[in-house]
Amino acid sequence: MNCRSEVLEVTVEARQVEEAMLALLHTILLHRSTGKFHYKKEGTYSIGTVGTQDIDCDFIDFTFVRVSSEELDRVIRKAVSEFKDALSSDGMGQISLEFYQKKKSRWPFSDECIPWEVWSIKVNMVNLANEQERQICREKVGEKLGDKVINVVEVINRHEYLPKMPTQSEVDNVFDTSLKDVQPYLYKITYQITDSLGTSVSTTMRRLIKDTLAL
Amino acid sequence: MLLGEIFELVQLLFVVGFTVFLANCVDYDVLFANKFVNHTDSSKVTLPDAILPMDVCSAHIRENTFVIFLLIISGVFWLHRLVKFLYNVCCYWEIRSFYINALKMTMSELPYVTWQEVQARIIEIQKEHQICIHKKELTELDIYHRILRFKNYMVAMVNKSLLPVRFRLPALGDSVFYTRGLKYNFELIFFWGPGSLFENEWSLKPEYKRGGNRLELADRLASRILWIGIANLLLCPVILVWQILYAFFSYTEVIKREPGSLGARCWSLYGRCYLRHFNELDHELMSRLSKGYKAASKYMNCFLSPLLTVVAKNVAFFAGSLLAVLIALTIYDEDVLAVEHVLSSITLLGVCITVCRSFIPDKHMVFCPEQLLRVILAHIHYMPDHWQGNAHRYETRDQFSQLFQYKAVFILEELLSPVVTPIILIFCLRRKSLEIIDFFRNFTVEVVGVGDTCSFAQMDVRQHGHPAWMSEGKTEASIYQQAEDGKTELSLMHFAITNPHWQPPRETTHFISQLKERVHREAAGASSDTHPLSLSESEPRSLVANILAGPSTLASVHFACDSSLTNSGVPEMPGGAAALRSLSPISGSLQLRGSLSAAHRASGFTGRTMTGSGTDARTVSSGSSAWEGQLTSLVLSEYASTEMSIHALYMHELHKQQSRGDLSRHTWHRQESDESSDSIPDEVRSEPNARSRHVPRSHTFPTTLTSPGAGSASAASGQSSSQRRHSGPAADPFGAGAAKVVRTPLVPMGGWAEEGKASSRHQEPLQEETSEDELPPHTQKVIIIIIIIKVWQKSAVSFFFKLCCLFDAFVLFLSRFRLHKPYEEVLSQSTHPHPSPYLHFGSSSSSPRRENRSVPQGLSELL
Repeated sequence: MNCRSEVLEVTVEARQVEEAMLALLHTILLHRSTGKFHYKKEGTYSIGTVGTQDIDCDFIDFTFVRVSSEELDRVIRKAVSEFKDALSSDGMGQISLEFYQKKKSRWPFSDECIPWEVWSIKVNMVNLANEQERQICREKVGEKLGDKVINVVEVINRHEYLPKMPTQSEVDNVFDTSLKDVQPYLYKITYQITDSLGTSVSTTMRRLIKDTLAL
Repeated sequence: MLLGEIFELVQLLFVVGFTVFLANCVDYDVLFANKFVNHTDSSKVTLPDAILPMDVCSAHIRENTFVIFLLIISGVFWLHRLVKFLYNVCCYWEIRSFYINALKMTMSELPYVTWQEVQARIIEIQKEHQICIHKKELTELDIYHRILRFKNYMVAMVNKSLLPVRFRLPALGDSVFYTRGLKYNFELIFFWGPGSLFENEWSLKPEYKRGGNRLELADRLASRILWIGIANLLLCPVILVWQILYAFFSYTEVIKREPGSLGARCWSLYGRCYLRHFNELDHELMSRLSKGYKAASKYMNCFLSPLLTVVAKNVAFFAGSLLAVLIALTIYDEDVLAVEHVLSSITLLGVCITVCRSFIPDKHMVFCPEQLLRVILAHIHYMPDHWQGNAHRYETRDQFSQLFQYKAVFILEELLSPVVTPIILIFCLRRKSLEIIDFFRNFTVEVVGVGDTCSFAQMDVRQHGHPAWMSEGKTEASIYQQAEDGKTELSLMHFAITNPHWQPPRETTHFISQLKERVHREAAGASSDTHPLSLSESEPRSLVANILAGPSTLASVHFACDSSLTNSGVPEMPGGAAALRSLSPISGSLQLRGSLSAAHRASGFTGRTMTGSGTDARTVSSGSSAWEGQLTSLVLSEYASTEMSIHALYMHELHKQQSRGDLSRHTWHRQESDESSDSIPDEVRSEPNARSRHVPRSHTFPTTLTSPGAGSASAASGQSSSQRRHSGPAADPFGAGAAKVVRTPLVPMGGWAEEGKASSRHQEPLQEETSEDELPPHTQKVIIIIIIIKVWQKSAVSFFFKLCCLFDAFVLFLSRFRLHKPYEEVLSQSTHPHPSPYLHFGSSSSSPRRENRSVPQGLSELL
């Protein structure tokens, strides 16, 4: 309830899936990353630089900018290829990028993750009959992705809620500090093939435990 | 709260353990002295003698598989409660740290903080921390929506009479059945159970928001309801046993102590749902209802049947004479107590007399239901239209008793609930699944930062207003969308008054200010020369400031409400003048507080109120302008209820005027709006004209639902008799297998079930012969005296009986172990510290005398 959600929708051919997803995810992450924080003493810190690099797509007429961090790229590539493999059997899917804050809690419970922004990318896969259509699709998807990127930038430019800049001890609760060269907000990538019905079992169980037979 | 839950757990263990103990480990032969125990030292029977030794006991338990089964089930149940308790502890801890860290309230000051202050703090910290990320600022309405999301849905569903809680039973007639178990099941089905309509705590599942496959969804819901019903049926014996045990352990003691408590009344669960405003928190509702409690029970007491009174008087006489003889004998010689069953008969006779007494009305009571109902209305704010002017009718009383039931009935219903709940779920709720799906689709709005809420709870007059409730011209709602009983309008006023800082949307603001202006204008216009203070009133604070007159305010407003009735007893008043006139005493009393000069004018009331508030009135006149700024939130919220009462009365009055004045136009208007409604797809209208004639002026108590249209429709669906019996007020006769969906859109969907044709025929003449039994103002004083006397009498009598019963119980307890001892033994005992009955009766008989002395003082103070 307490988080923004943005939905992007793309229609691509099977071999374009990976690149399209990478393009969109990287675009979002580019804007949601900062340089590494280097703490000096007592609350002062300097922010490192973030390099960017242009990536050309092979199957789409499109070039996008991403953070030049091999580590980040590897992580995302892994998630996307998993998604792609899962998707190959089915025509529809959704990959979502969720930014969250962690809330530390006491020992017996795991940390609570509070999402504050969720980007869902819905993917429609199409099968194309011949090379000519592929060519058209290549251009069209490129245009579409361009629109999406502008869309993303527009959303991010809006003056909306972002987690507060943390103090040194709490930096782990807001930023992902595991990477060496860049520091994005904490994120996680999940995907879903065909929208499954029914509430997840865990939430139901929790409600049941919480509130059963209060006669 | 935490402590309460710990005790609940312990209580549960105790109930189970004690029951098993009683069933298996007690040697009743010893207890009833059918068997003699041989002791060498003394021949007294002691409690340990009656208890079987441990090994015998456990053998007993092991033999009995049923007991083991019960134990296992209760063990599972207890473990589940334990987990829930632990979970709750974590939640409470979170809440606590939120209060301490975010709201900056320490635990020590928390009990003395009002909700208004907490709310203000939350709004304050939103600006700083942005708890809700979507908005810069939170409004009061957002907070209320989050807290009351599901409750608002329930209120709306009861308001639109979607839930099958009203039934027409063959023998009992119209009745309401809504228990905690049923409520729990409803919530399980709709809000959080597995596969419920809600995805999580804040959003409806997306497929329920689309209209496309509503039939399929309805089927799914129906089968889910069926399964839950079956589960209920299977668990029924367990729950039943539990309910019985629980009721036995929690209520027997109370009944023994004060048998009158069963005759006392309480607001029923249905009443709480029916009377609740949208966006009204629990504590607000409870305080409102508690304020109305006294008047409501007085109202119900007006209706004691003379036959029952005569019987009760005679029974009380016979029982009393027996009791007197027994007591006299006991006083003469206490050995009488040693005779078998004398003590128990004394106890029983005492109980019997107390019960009878509750059926005997006070000799000096005056039958003035119309006034009382008006006072009740000032607190409960909701009332079906046809009660007005019919307060003396038995039907009104019966319907009111559905909201305000006997405690005994409440307990009985709770006991029955495990059996009835599955039946209702399987046979009634299941048939409504399509309507429920439609309801959730049509009346759910997504509010940014809040999630999905019930659209009624937005209190948007334009969308859900009712033309007969002052929102005429503003509302665009079709009949399906209108909230019944002016719920939208009254809720809106209530919310605006309780949260004066709330900034409603523009149109709503317009509505509120217009209404307030009208109330003020008519209040001011009623007096001959208006005081400048009251003219300048434009916001609630000033009115509240006017009412502010120290401790006697609330009471005097009661009187004002009472007397407002006496004035409106002139039914020939044309147009809005009657409404104005009926409010004039209120305004009079407001003026009285506003200034001294006004107080002189309202000499009719000064005699009563000035003694209490003379000095206050003076301070108000000097400082009322200064007070406006100084009003703390606490004071405001306390006086807001008074102001709301006035507004509620005013709105009802105006509504009455309106619905009387142009009934025909309304009928037409409703019909028109309904034709244009496209909110219900697939609907097949059967004879809309035939039914539209029958749209009663009361939209919540549709009295003519067994109209030919409904009859033929239900006959068409082929299951008329059972259908009619079980179907709710809307009488929707579409069977599960019926191919076409027959809707009865013109029949208002609201509240109460049909009464049958007979009563509807009665209704017409009744409306005209209203308010004959109202009293001139000077009877007010008499009534107050009567009330005081009655209250005193009751307290004295009940105190006496309480002492008697207590004594009885004590002696009974002692004698259980002594009765069958040899005669000499008892004699020798009686000289010992064993409490003598003389002492007790002496002290108890002296107590009424003591009270007697104090009462005249109280009387003179009050008069």
